[in-house]
Amino acid sequence: MTGVTTAWTAHETTSDALGALAREGATGALSGERGIVYLASGRVVHVESAFTPGLGALLTQSGALAPDGWWEAVDGGGTRHRVGDRLVDSGRLAAGALEVCHLGALFDAAYFVLARDSRAHRFRSGAVHWLGAVRSVPVDSVVRESRRRRDLLERIWPDPALDTVPLTRVPDADPADLPARRGRTLTQVDGVRTAADIAAALGCHTYHTLVELRRLAAAGLVTAAPPPPAPAPPGPGAPPVAWDDPDAALLRRLRDALEAL
Amino acid sequence: MANLETSLKECLSSIDGATAAALVDYTSGMALGTLGGGKEFNLEVAAAGNTDVVRSKLRTMEHLGLKEEIEDILITLSNQYHLIRLLKGRGGNGLFLYLVLDSNRANLAMARHQMRRIESELEV
Repeated sequence: MTGVTTAWTAHETTSDALGALAREGATGALSGERGIVYLASGRVVHVESAFTPGLGALLTQSGALAPDGWWEAVDGGGTRHRVGDRLVDSGRLAAGALEVCHLGALFDAAYFVLARDSRAHRFRSGAVHWLGAVRSVPVDSVVRESRRRRDLLERIWPDPALDTVPLTRVPDADPADLPARRGRTLTQVDGVRTAADIAAALGCHTYHTLVELRRLAAAGLVTAAPPPPAPAPPGPGAPPVAWDDPDAALLRRLRDALEAL
Repeated sequence: MANLETSLKECLSSIDGATAAALVDYTSGMALGTLGGGKEFNLEVAAAGNTDVVRSKLRTMEHLGLKEEIEDILITLSNQYHLIRLLKGRGGNGLFLYLVLDSNRANLAMARHQMRRIESELEV
């Protein structure tokens, strides 16, 4: 036991903080602006972000797993951090399929946590994800892949704001001859939804949706929706804050309770 | 039931002449898993490059109005076969299996057959 680690706090970016935690072989959850990275012995075992669909949504929306089966595994294995094992042991899902889906979700969320790479908020030492061990990936690979993904999007259409703001169709643009997936993505663009909403509606990875949306933007078919006609601030330009740190809810309850005194 | 690693190991051990295998996401070009390869054959680079091959073929088929699906793509080098098999997972989060074979030792028909079997263990 190395005690509470603090070296990560010296770093300005989430990726550097992760690197420091990896070198210490830390176990726990690092929260950033757009998600949480779970580490076990210095390796990444899971990443969650409010901008990307979770493993449950991916498995059930694709039809690989019935929702009942997913919730049964969560109920039965969640408190013991063995949801993944439970899915495989019950014969609902092949181990390979779970790993593939888990890795897909992990890298999808990691893109959002690491693309902007702002300062990490906090590290909960010893925190373990309820999914349990499926596969682990070195921190370096996750950081490298997230950068590669960011660069890939930059090459398609260099406007990272499209990742998080509501999107709208460009009036009068002609969407002829779109490939199937891009066409499906375009039909979901309605002036209100963000890339994350569209990915959730289609039941696919948000990053894959971003690739299609940036291509649509490059083709002049999609653009950021104009901000709605001034419902009072929180200031323009700030990305919509969709991430709720689990503890934020607790803090809010605490504040409400104190105010009620 | 096979996990990702054993599925890739199976590719190399059960398919004659197989020297490297990778499972690749063809939207991002990321290799979800690799086995074999080495200094002289970087599988990550191969994964990213072959992603372009798959995407280009898919785009061409769309332009031609072909409604069929790609089962596999074979690339024949002087001493190697490269076999790309597209996984048809229900999620549609496109993945392909990439296999490098030594053409002197490989049986192509058998390799395709084996890949089909391994695919069924990875489908999501």
